[in-house]
Amino acid sequence: MRPSRPTPLSLSARRRRAGYLFSVPGLVFLGLFLAYPLLYNVWTSVHDVGLRELLGGAPRFTGLANYRTTVSDPDFWHAVRLTMVFTLGSLLFQFVIGFALALLFARPFPLNGLLRSLLLVAWLLPAVVSGTLFRWMLDGESGVYNALLRRAGLGGLSHDWLTDPSTSLAGVVLANVWVGVPFNMLLLLVGLHTIDPELHEAAAIDGAGVWQRFRWITLPLMRPVSVPVLLLGLVYTFKVFDIIFVMTGGGPVDATSVLSLYVYEIFFKFFRFGEGAAAGLLLLLVPLLAGALYVRRLRREGETA
Amino acid sequence: MSYAVDRRGFLRAAGAGAAALGLGSALASCGSDQQSGGTATLTWWDYFTLDNFQPAMTALVKDIEAHVPGVRIERRTFPFADLDRQITLGAVSGDLPDIAIVDNVAMNSLGGSGLLADLTDRIEEWGQADQYYEGPWAGCQVAGKSLGIPNNSNCLALYCNTAMLRTADVQPPTTWDELAAAAHRLTSGDRFGLALSAIRTEEGVFQFLPFLWQAGGDLDTFAGYGATALSFLDDLVAKGSLSEQCVGWTQQDVNTRFIHQRAALQINGPWQLPTLKNADLEWEVVALPSDRTSATCLGGENWVVMASSEHLDKAWAVLEYTQRPSVLVPYLVALGNLPARKDLASAGTWASDPALRLFLSQLPVARPRQYGPHYADASRAVAEAEQAVLTGAAAPSAAAKSAAVKIDKALERR
Repeated sequence: MRPSRPTPLSLSARRRRAGYLFSVPGLVFLGLFLAYPLLYNVWTSVHDVGLRELLGGAPRFTGLANYRTTVSDPDFWHAVRLTMVFTLGSLLFQFVIGFALALLFARPFPLNGLLRSLLLVAWLLPAVVSGTLFRWMLDGESGVYNALLRRAGLGGLSHDWLTDPSTSLAGVVLANVWVGVPFNMLLLLVGLHTIDPELHEAAAIDGAGVWQRFRWITLPLMRPVSVPVLLLGLVYTFKVFDIIFVMTGGGPVDATSVLSLYVYEIFFKFFRFGEGAAAGLLLLLVPLLAGALYVRRLRREGETA
Repeated sequence: MSYAVDRRGFLRAAGAGAAALGLGSALASCGSDQQSGGTATLTWWDYFTLDNFQPAMTALVKDIEAHVPGVRIERRTFPFADLDRQITLGAVSGDLPDIAIVDNVAMNSLGGSGLLADLTDRIEEWGQADQYYEGPWAGCQVAGKSLGIPNNSNCLALYCNTAMLRTADVQPPTTWDELAAAAHRLTSGDRFGLALSAIRTEEGVFQFLPFLWQAGGDLDTFAGYGATALSFLDDLVAKGSLSEQCVGWTQQDVNTRFIHQRAALQINGPWQLPTLKNADLEWEVVALPSDRTSATCLGGENWVVMASSEHLDKAWAVLEYTQRPSVLVPYLVALGNLPARKDLASAGTWASDPALRLFLSQLPVARPRQYGPHYADASRAVAEAEQAVLTGAAAPSAAAKSAAVKIDKALERR
C-alpha cells in the first residue's frame, strides 16, 4: 500500500511543464519582436498612413486600397521580375559552384583546411563590405576587373557593369553568388561526408565511371541536403537588400530595384507607410511559402528518422 | 545571402536595443524633471558626423549652454541618410528631439506633416526675416507658416582646372554653348571635359535641376524643358565630353575625379573647397553657365523645432541665439559654410576668399527645392529620366514625357 502523500507529478508531466517553462522566453521574444511588428504591419497595410497620420492623426481604414495601389503599380511588377531573376540566378550559381567546391574539398589534399576556412571569410564578411568591394572591383574606370582585362590585351571586353542598365543586375548577382557560395559549399560538404564511401567503391568495382557514380550515387544521396540548402537559399536571397543597396542603390535607372529596395523606398523615401506595409507583406509571401515547405519537409524527415 | 541568423548575436543586439530604449526614455524623463528646476535639457539632432565638424559643433553647444539661460543641450548625430528616417521612427515611438538641423530639402516631407513647430509668431516678433537671402528663407516657409530658420546655405558652381583651360586656350564658359564647346575641347585621352553627379538619389537631382531651370522650365513643365535639359546632357555624353559613368557618381566621386585631373570642369559645391585647397591643383570657380536664365540649386541646412517639444520657448531662444552675427560668423567659418544672411556677406572668410565670394554671389539665383510633401516621388522620376537618357536606355523627349507624367502625379497628390 502506498502512503497517502500527495502524488508527485509523473515524469512526463513534469517534463511537459518544464518544456513550457523553457519556451516562455522564446515565446515572449517571438511575440515582442516578430508577432507584434508583423501584426502592426498588417494593420498599417489596411490604413492610409503617411507622416501626418503617424503623428497622432487617426489613420483612415482603407481596406485593400493599399494592396490595389501596389499591384497596379508597374514598378512593383518590375521589382517582382527583377527579384525572380536575381534570386534564381543567385541560387543556380551559388548551388552549382558550391557543389563543385564541396566535391573538391571532400577529398584530402594539402592545405585543404586552410583554403576551406579562407573561403568561409566571404560568408563572414558583412554584406556592406562585400558590396563595397565588388563596387570597386567592377568600376568601369578604376576597377580591377577592367584593369586585368586591359592588361591581358582584352580591353575590348572591359565593361562598365554597374552603370550599364543591361548588366548591372548581373553585377549584383555576381557579388551575391560570391557571398553565398561558401554557405552552400559548407552544407553540401557535410552532406557528402554522410555518403558511405563503400558505395562508391562497390560501384567502381562494377565498372561505373566518375560521372556515373556522381549521377547515380552522389546526386540521389545528396537530395536530403540539397533541397533544404536551396530552400534556405531562396528564403535568404529573396529579401537581399544591403548588397544591392550598397552596389547600385537600385540603379542605374531602375535596373536593380528588387522588391526589398522597392519597399524600402516607399517607406523611407516616399513616406507612404500603408503602401509600403502592403508591398512588404506581398514580399513576405514567397519566403513564407518556402519556409512552410521546408518545415513540412523537416517534419517528414523527423518522422521517418 | 549573408543572413544566416546568429541567434545569440541577434539576442545581444536586441538586448542592447532594449537597453538603449530604456536609457532613452530615462534621459527624456530626466529632461522634463529638470525643467521644474529652471534648467531644461534640450535634445538636438543633426547629421554633421565628420570629424572636422566636431570642434565647431561642440564649441557652439558650449556657447549656447553658457549664454542661453536654463538650457542644457544633448546632441546626437546621425549619418546624413539616416536623419530623416530617424525622425520618422522617432515620430512613431514618440522619441523626438527638441531641435534638429535638417537638410533644406527635407522641408518637403517634414513640412506638411505637423512634425515641426510653427515658429511664425516668434519670427515675426524677432523681426530679422528680411536679413536672409530669399531662397534659403523661402525654403523654410511651408503653407504660409515659418517652420525653421536657415542654418547655412550652399549652391552649385563650376570649378575649372585653370592649367588645362590655359593649355587648351579655353575661357571659363558662361553659356550652355560655351560649356559644350569647352567640355569638348578639354576632353582628351582618359580625361573628360566635364564631370557632374547624375546618381539616382537626391544628390543627382540636386545637380540636374539647375539645367532644367536654366532652360526656362521647372518640374511642372518637365515634358518640354526637361527634354531640353536632358538632350543637352545627352549630347555631352554622345560627344564623349561627359562620362556615362556619372550615373553612378556621388558629388564626392566627381570631386575626386577633378582632383586627379580626370576632369577639366566639374559641377560641385563649396563644401569641396577645403579639400581642393589642399590639393596640388590650379583651379578657379565660376558661376554655372546659363541658358535662358541663370540658376543654381540651393543646398544647406535649416534649424527646426519639433512640435512635440516640451520646451518650445527655450528651443526658440537657442535658435535665436545661434543667429547672432557674433555666434554665427565664427561657427560658419569653422564649418566652411556660407551664411544664409545678407548682412553677413561682408564678414567672415567669405568676404575675402574669392571662391567663397563666388558661391555667395550665386545665392540670389539659388532656388530651393520646394515642391510639397510628395517631392520625393518627383525627384525619383527626374533621377530615373536622367539615368535612362545618359545610359542610352531612352531618348530625351520620351524620358522627359514619361517622367512628366509621374512628376505631375506626385505634385498634385494631396
